[in-house]
Amino acid sequence: MTTAAAQGHRDNRLLAALPADTLELLGRELKQVSLQQGAILLEPGNPVEDIYFPQTGLISLLVLTRSGDTVEAATVGREGAVGLHGGLGGRRSFTRAVTQIGGRFSTVRAEHFEHIANGSAPVRDLIMRYTEVILAEAQQIGACNAMHSGGARLCRWLLQCADRTSRDELLLTQESLAQLLGVRRTTVTLLAQALQVRGLISYRRGHIVLLDCKGLRERACECYSIMRHEKLAPALGLLF
Amino acid sequence: MPMYYFHLYDDETIVDTDGTDLIDVGAARDHAAGVARELTANSTDFLDQNWSGWTMRVHDESGLELFSLAMSNFGNGYSRR
Repeated sequence: MTTAAAQGHRDNRLLAALPADTLELLGRELKQVSLQQGAILLEPGNPVEDIYFPQTGLISLLVLTRSGDTVEAATVGREGAVGLHGGLGGRRSFTRAVTQIGGRFSTVRAEHFEHIANGSAPVRDLIMRYTEVILAEAQQIGACNAMHSGGARLCRWLLQCADRTSRDELLLTQESLAQLLGVRRTTVTLLAQALQVRGLISYRRGHIVLLDCKGLRERACECYSIMRHEKLAPALGLLF
Repeated sequence: MPMYYFHLYDDETIVDTDGTDLIDVGAARDHAAGVARELTANSTDFLDQNWSGWTMRVHDESGLELFSLAMSNFGNGYSRR
């Protein structure tokens, strides 16, 4: 594995948490790919064939209803992975995984990852720990979607996205935001305009810039603070 | 299909910059009600002002106001479902 490739893979915190010899072993199978916004990685019921570790991009896990509506159940950036449970054997996806913010991702075939996991207690442990974290997040987002206002949820999502991609400039359409939040696009337009009027963001043609993160934090629901990676894992008794 | 624009008014104006294609005014009324429910769900205020002062006014492509909704008729902090 080249130095540049190794550093790229270590931009993902899960991969960086692996012992060096395990990452070296895994590195022979890890690839770095660039994914565009909108790329669908998994559909509900599909087998998990590849595992994705975001480096600079972001993946949303969306629940689909029979009427075609969607709402986000989890957001995965450089702190996590999509399909990681594929390392435990043949698994199928429950959600649609879609690239929400394009960027660089590490990826490995699930069967290769399973082979390595079978021979590595640290890898199996990593899978279980991360699964606990993503479950906790999904539970929190479930409560958030039911109990918190659209405006507070939008502020929460923008802040999470900025944290998990290390960017405060996001390329994201209103249609995408509407699908994530489970609301109409008009609702997103009006909420985003309100944030812009207050100087918290600028929003032009799908290009969002977070101008006042402090102001956004004041308007976000409590879920943003609860789900911050550096707080949630320790709160569950987990270390990465 | 015609475009409809759903603006919010109180002391400030929040402009629907993009509009939405809908088949007719009836569909626009349904859409307006849906947006109003989503905005007010689990929320008592907007831009630090109580929803009771806000009105949604729906315009056509020429800027003509077609109808309006009082946001106080929606939500009041209840779940949007």
